[in-house]
Amino acid sequence: MLKIKNLQASINKKLILKGLNLNIKEGELHAIMGPNGSGKSTLANVLSGKSGYEISGELKFQGENLKEISVEERARKGIFLAFQYPLEIPGVNTNNFLKTSLNSVRKAKGEKELDALAFLKLVKEKSSELGIDEKILSRQLNVGFSGGEKKKNEILQMKILNPNFSILDETDSGLDIDALKIIAQGVNTSRDKKKSFLVITHYQRLLDYIKPDFVHVLSEGRIVKTGCSELAQELEKTGYQKLN
Amino acid sequence: MQNLDINSKQIDNIKKITSEEKNFRIKNLELFKTAGFPNKRLEDWKFSDFSNIISNNFNKLDAKSVSSNVNKINFLKDFEHNYIILVNGNLHSSNFDYEKINKIKILPYDKNTNYRISKNPMICLNHALAENGYSLEIDENYKFKKVLVIYNFFTPDVNNKILNNKNKIKIGKNSELHVIEYTENQSKFKFINNSYEDIILEKNSKLRNLYIQGRKSNGFFHKYIKSKLFYNSNYLNFIFSSGLKFNKLDIDCDLEEEKCTCNILSALFLNKNEHQEIKTSVNHLAPNCKSYQKIKNVLSSDSKGIFQGKVYVKANAQKTDAYQLSKAILLNDNAEFNSKPELEIYADDVKCTHGSASGSLDENSLHYLMTRGLNREDSTKLLTKGFLNDIVEFIKSPSIKEFVKNKLEDQLNGH
Ligand SMILES: Nc1ncnc2c1ncn2[C@@H]1O[C@H](COP(=O)(O)OP(=O)(O)OP(=O)(O)O)[C@@H](O)[C@H]1O
Ligand SMILES: [Mg+2]
Repeated sequence: MLKIKNLQASINKKLILKGLNLNIKEGELHAIMGPNGSGKSTLANVLSGKSGYEISGELKFQGENLKEISVEERARKGIFLAFQYPLEIPGVNTNNFLKTSLNSVRKAKGEKELDALAFLKLVKEKSSELGIDEKILSRQLNVGFSGGEKKKNEILQMKILNPNFSILDETDSGLDIDALKIIAQGVNTSRDKKKSFLVITHYQRLLDYIKPDFVHVLSEGRIVKTGCSELAQELEKTGYQKLN
Repeated sequence: MQNLDINSKQIDNIKKITSEEKNFRIKNLELFKTAGFPNKRLEDWKFSDFSNIISNNFNKLDAKSVSSNVNKINFLKDFEHNYIILVNGNLHSSNFDYEKINKIKILPYDKNTNYRISKNPMICLNHALAENGYSLEIDENYKFKKVLVIYNFFTPDVNNKILNNKNKIKIGKNSELHVIEYTENQSKFKFINNSYEDIILEKNSKLRNLYIQGRKSNGFFHKYIKSKLFYNSNYLNFIFSSGLKFNKLDIDCDLEEEKCTCNILSALFLNKNEHQEIKTSVNHLAPNCKSYQKIKNVLSSDSKGIFQGKVYVKANAQKTDAYQLSKAILLNDNAEFNSKPELEIYADDVKCTHGSASGSLDENSLHYLMTRGLNREDSTKLLTKGFLNDIVEFIKSPSIKEFVKNKLEDQLNGH
């Protein structure tokens, strides 16, 4: 599904990713851990197609060269990024936005656009699964949402768009224990043989609920260690110091 | 301009005027002739060189009025309303079927004396030549049931003209009126409309005024509004007039007595070749008054937007609460926005806030929307709309809010 070879990325002349290799197959869930500032969000941004980065190396998604694909095309091909810091968009109604987003993805896939009724039904179902108060969906996108509400709203978007490759950038940070379980369940019910995930987190706790196939440690722009889910438990005890 | 046909013969032709009025007109004509069309050397016109704009757009101009009739009027169907129809500035007809007619006095405007001499050459020109317009007076203790739409029509034959008109709105004690001034220009030609408006709000009265256009237009508009607010009156202006080649709205508001409120709210989307200036002067002349100004511009292509906002607080106007904010988004490197906030405060116990910011759309916000499958153009539109909606949300009536939203949508789509 995703093949990254010797990826280097810099922004404002600062080299952040320094030769990163990562291979994610269909159906796999990979976790990335690593110290603050090691480049985890940078990797997520680069995969989403954010402008401003100077990039070299190989980036392949489903056999296609990602570098040539625009941000919105990536979204339409099924790449989804749940942001570490979801943006507040004043004046834009959350429900309307979700509908516009879904229909532009559906249209690109050659599927029929959903009408207002079908869309509302879908939103109702998904938001109740995630324990989201529907009232917040009639408000401006993320404006005044609590930290947890913002994160839940990201997962709601993931559930609605139904992507085949999802990147979750610290979606668990700032969530209470119940919300964490709900979100983990949201991810688990989406998992299947075709869908892949890249989950960025600082906490082993999340990985108790979402079982990863692989755990990687990203440090100073490189993956310095890869293991199975036990690696996360080890890191929880020893920290990152020992790895260097 | 060689072919500028503006002279005193036109004043001679005005019927039934007193010698006092005639002298007033001639004096103003002289003032205009000496000054010419205002250029950027005048502080109030430094961002809008009207003289230059006129010579770039007109080969000839005359100020004779056009008395064409209008054959078909497309009434707004979005909400029930009373109406006044102006054709090329002339009062054509009116309808107040929803109201108590004896509370309303509507007449062609005719009195044209006793104005202070102005430093603005466009006002001098208006004082010299204005023959058309309307005067609307609302009696005491009357609250309008429906909104009043003032249809400001320009007929297809208006060409190379400068039309001067004068209007007056007076709201009696405890009365309330909501107005939508709706400009619909059917002329494909270039012309100038230069109007002067007096607004008087008596004790405890309320006036809401909303400016909007039917569609894009080749008209060049200048309008000066002098409003006087008396005890506890409430004056609210919404400005949504986009799509004009040139538009300068100059609002000069005197808060004469205590507890008055003046609000000026604007959301503008400017596109190719459009030039729009909002100039305000909010004068706190009495204690305990409030003013609130929020001006939002989105500028695309090579458009130009200007906000010159002045807040004046007289020494005795203690407890003044004045707020002024201008925000602009430039979608294009060729677009230009100028803002000149000005505070002149002589009282010590006041709360005055002002700010101004302009810049391009936030790239991070654009990226966020694009990661959800929206292309750059649609994301830009959504953010732009969101930015301007903030002002539209101040409109209380749901049907009028919807109407304005649709108009804004049309403007964003280039209509
Ligand atoms: N626009 C930028 N200009 C310069 N440096 C940047 C820019 N964006 C990020 N960086 C730097 O790149 C490094 C990696 O940042 P990144 O956000 O990818 O870290 P992270 O691993 O996600 O950290 P955290 O765990 O704190 O979220 C940091 O040192 C950061 O300061
Ligand atoms: Mg990060």
